[in-house]
Amino acid sequence: MTKNKAVIEAIRIVAVVVIALMIGFVITAMVSKEPVQAYTALLTGPLPNLSFENGFAIKNINRFGNWMEESTTLILLGLAVAIVFKARQFSLGAEGQMLLGALATAVIALKLSIPFPWHMLLALAAAMTIGFLWGLLPGLLKAYLAVDEIVSTLMFNVIALQVFDLLLFNWLRDPTAGFVGTVPFPDSAVLPLAISGTRVSWMIFIMLAAVVIVWFLMERTPFGFELKMLGANRKFAEYGGINTKRVIALSMAVSGILAGLAGAHLSMGLLKRLTINLSPGLGFEGIVVALLARNDPRWVLIAGLFYGYLRTGAQIMERSSDVTREVVLIIQAIIILLITAEQLFPRFQEWWRARRNNEVAIERG
Amino acid sequence: MAALVEMKQISKVYPNGVVANRNVDFAVERGEIHALVGENGAGKSTLMKVLYGLEQPTHGEIWLKGARVEIPNPHRAIELGIGMVHQNFMLVPSFTIAENIVLGSEPRKGRFLDRAQAIAVTEMLSKNYGLQVDPTARIEATPVGMRQRVEILKTLYRGADLLILDEPTAVLTPQETDELFVAVRKLVDQGKTVIFITHKLVEVKEISDRVTVMRHGEVTGRVATADVTEADIARMMVGRAVFLQIDKPPVQRGRVVAEVRNLGYVAETGRPMLRNVNFDVYAGEILGVAGVEGNGQTELVEVMTGLRPATTGEIRIDGTPVQGQSARRIRLSGVAHIPEDRLTNGVALDASIAENLVVDRYNRPPFTRRGALSPRAIQTQAVALMQQFDIRAAGPTALMRSLSGGNMQKVIVAREFSAEPALLIAAQPTRGVDIGATEFVHTQLVAKRNEGKAVLLVSADLAEVMSLSDRIAVMYKGEIVGILENGPHLTEEEIGLYMLGLKRDEGARGEL
Ligand SMILES: Nc1ncnc2c1ncn2[C@@H]1O[C@H](COP(=O)(O)OP(=O)(O)O)[C@@H](O)[C@H]1O
Ligand SMILES: [Mg+2]
Repeated sequence: MTKNKAVIEAIRIVAVVVIALMIGFVITAMVSKEPVQAYTALLTGPLPNLSFENGFAIKNINRFGNWMEESTTLILLGLAVAIVFKARQFSLGAEGQMLLGALATAVIALKLSIPFPWHMLLALAAAMTIGFLWGLLPGLLKAYLAVDEIVSTLMFNVIALQVFDLLLFNWLRDPTAGFVGTVPFPDSAVLPLAISGTRVSWMIFIMLAAVVIVWFLMERTPFGFELKMLGANRKFAEYGGINTKRVIALSMAVSGILAGLAGAHLSMGLLKRLTINLSPGLGFEGIVVALLARNDPRWVLIAGLFYGYLRTGAQIMERSSDVTREVVLIIQAIIILLITAEQLFPRFQEWWRARRNNEVAIERG
Repeated sequence: MAALVEMKQISKVYPNGVVANRNVDFAVERGEIHALVGENGAGKSTLMKVLYGLEQPTHGEIWLKGARVEIPNPHRAIELGIGMVHQNFMLVPSFTIAENIVLGSEPRKGRFLDRAQAIAVTEMLSKNYGLQVDPTARIEATPVGMRQRVEILKTLYRGADLLILDEPTAVLTPQETDELFVAVRKLVDQGKTVIFITHKLVEVKEISDRVTVMRHGEVTGRVATADVTEADIARMMVGRAVFLQIDKPPVQRGRVVAEVRNLGYVAETGRPMLRNVNFDVYAGEILGVAGVEGNGQTELVEVMTGLRPATTGEIRIDGTPVQGQSARRIRLSGVAHIPEDRLTNGVALDASIAENLVVDRYNRPPFTRRGALSPRAIQTQAVALMQQFDIRAAGPTALMRSLSGGNMQKVIVAREFSAEPALLIAAQPTRGVDIGATEFVHTQLVAKRNEGKAVLLVSADLAEVMSLSDRIAVMYKGEIVGILENGPHLTEEEIGLYMLGLKRDEGARGEL
């Protein structure tokens, strides 16, 4: 993409966001007695307040922290989805990989005692490994047995959830706690804090590194080239000698590593324990991020920050105004719908053009 | 007397901004066969679609028998006696020929189609115009040549006086082409007028009275056929002198590069697509594979390049057995492949030219060093190949999609030729490519042969096979029914007999 096109693209996305936010405001105005306050909360809530009254101070750092925490998870999931989407594999397995990743960290954290940092590193490695394997399985099924990856990954998500619940209830759960969850992880298996007053942990650095690594993987390695060619035209990739089956399986497995890390972030960074209902559906938010970013890791970073901001702002709006959760969800949905529709539109044009070309080609035959 | 049809200053701009026709003047006299020629994309089909009411001109007028007419849709065109046969036929496969011919204006008995009447009408038309068809056969079971006759009869049934035939010979065997020409002449004898679109110059000379030549949407020549040579027409089409005849030094046969033995392939459907295929390709020769499309050529190429597994038999490249190997291994053992279906196999439309040029070598130095891809090396190669193979595009990062068919083909040729193969398999290498690019591909193929490479040329264009090959293998129903030495003694008709399965050399099945 040329510089010029990228700028136009960015302007278009910003325009769509503005329009979406305006529609959101109209809806808010219809249901709220204080729409302006509510919307201000949505739009500015996640920003830290800088106060100069009695010396310089940052208020509400925790809200800013929420934004960063949310975005870190979303970006990791967005990267996971971007990898498979880049290869045109519609794997929806991030949810399950994330759950099992979190589960693996809990096992390591609670059942082993090793000194920091080895304990933490081992837990991270376990999350990444289980994510890799839980992606590899449906990958192999797709590559070698042509099992549709949408169906298989959704089924793998269900299995992952059952395993998660089973182990949590019967083995890891703290029976004395008033809720279904484990005891807190030992400090040796918790991600150290990066910003005090928040729950922003070292995972934010791991996430930034992941963005760079995934970018490098996609743009600067033979595997990335294979991924791209597979996504662009599988038959062409095969004709060129690429082992597309291997690439399909690997793309889904590598994607799982990142989803596993996202799970580790939830358990080792945010909750510092494992609980039931570990953020259900978060895995699918990664799809939104990847769609917004057109599977470009650099844009995943930006889209993840944007989407995280929106989600955090929505929570703050819900807490600080009369606008209820449902309305927040509607607004979110509209924004996503508009933006992704805008994403799908070029796809449609492409499809149409391809059809045309085809017809012309037939005619020229 | 006024011309039958006169199109004046026709311009057509498509919604996507393509100027397909620019101030085109086009006139057809009553009772003539008028050839409309030009390279692909010249705007021939567009001009005829305007005449047939399928497209509306952005500017310009149509006059019929001296009166100005508007043709907003094909209905109106048919009322005015204009009929068009498109290259991609528009018949209903599950209907019989008679049903297809009367479709849309059926003779009825009560509320139902009068079958007997439809068949009678078809037979009568068929007899009157000398176009042989079997009224009760289903379209799906009839050969291409007959389908085309059905299309023509269909327009005649609707009362066409002026018939537009859009590249009618592109899908025909030489025999079928000859039959078509006979029929076209007969139509003219009976007072019809024919516009005949083609880009085959031999046909222009053979069939037409006058020619209109188009290039880039404009008319570049309007002449009586008898006054010009094929080379003259080619020059008008391309805008420069074109070498139609390729000079080939006598063949210098070297070692055997490819050996194919008892090759068989059974499709997933259980249908045998290749049966006991045997041949050798020698260094320094072009072995042409002729045949009506669908007789196993596609499968042969895909099996030889590792895209499909052979069911039985053996393939050796320079002595090494390669059957059952991956496409990559076969490429590494020295096979390059220009695929038949460019858009599905040969390119990734949404990737850049540079990326398309490294798909077979991205994982080797200089493109990958110490595990990392080198965008610079990929770029450098693209720039070099684009220059060497005269690929016209905005730059190496331009998307494949933005290229014309001819330039896309050059990208493929550039990649496959620069792989320095021992065996080059070229399948339909000039299909849909214009004369300029065709000439280029042909020269390159011959150059490879002269360098001592083995070339396997698979083409449905018999003229192409005959002008390039040293030997010609003819395929029929998955078998090689003859391998013929090419030369002045070999005629199209002779090859046509093999193509139609009317003649076979038993020796062709055994060792050669
Ligand atoms: N429906 C269409 N929309 C846009 N462009 C078209 C359409 N049909 C043809 N073209 C373009 O118009 C030009 C002329 O095409 P066409 O009339 O089909 O040429 P020809 O029949 O001489 O090969 C080409 O560049 C082609 O890509
Ligand atoms: Mg055409």
